[in-house]
Amino acid sequence: MAARERDLFRWLDRLDQDDESVVTSVRQPAALREALRVACELGMDATVNDATVRAVRDRLETFAQRLALEAHYAEHPEARPSLADIALAAAELDSDPLADDPVLLRRAAGEVVRVKPDATADDVLIWAAALRSARASA
Amino acid sequence: MTGPASVVLDNEAVQALGAVTHPKHRRVLALIEVVNQRNQGRRRATTVLVPVAVRVEAGWDRSAPGAALANRLARARDVVLDGVAADRASQLRAAAGVSVVDATVSQVAEAAPSPTVILTSDVADMGHLAAAVGGEVRVVRV
Repeated sequence: MAARERDLFRWLDRLDQDDESVVTSVRQPAALREALRVACELGMDATVNDATVRAVRDRLETFAQRLALEAHYAEHPEARPSLADIALAAAELDSDPLADDPVLLRRAAGEVVRVKPDATADDVLIWAAALRSARASA
Repeated sequence: MTGPASVVLDNEAVQALGAVTHPKHRRVLALIEVVNQRNQGRRRATTVLVPVAVRVEAGWDRSAPGAALANRLARARDVVLDGVAADRASQLRAAAGVSVVDATVSQVAEAAPSPTVILTSDVADMGHLAAAVGGEVRVVRV
């Protein structure tokens, strides 16, 4: 893992251990600021600051997790789950009946990447649902 | 049929994620990949949570050099056990006759933004607990 990536994880690790905060100035669209203010009044978050920090943190955490996963797969290629494995996991997390048909999910995973090479688990679930629907109406 | 807003890790999910040689390592990575893909697409934010009691049981000391893999791959947020949570976990433990840690897992699942999925190897006990708590709590085997 590169030095800057290690820096990123070091700062992220401090998020839960460190209450230190800094005042910063962020240029943002006026409409975004007003929409945030109204959304907070409607209950989205306690304050505009909370909403902003949470949104930025969520993006950072997701970006850092992707970096960590790719670094892990680079070191341990055998650990990378297949698209069909991930689609099955997605179906299980959603309590989707497709979770009971791993053969169909494998087929869908194989087919969907031919038209969308960067397909996600949700793309596979949609493809599999279409295959199942076509099978039912045949 | 909705994707989870919260995913709660139990002991074996933590163990499997943190050890490349664990037989369920790839399986837990597949579940974490779903969370990452969906959060990247911003279809719906899913947060991974770990009750602090699970961290103790699993020996997950975030400051230890050996914990870097679990820290980075899970991006799980600690859920602390305060007095109110301890009361609720005690009630769940008494009602279901489960371990202290399992009771805290179900308490965290109940309190987290719903729907919630518990990743566990103990589907029978956790399924029983999930049925006992409020909100939409489901159980997925790791």
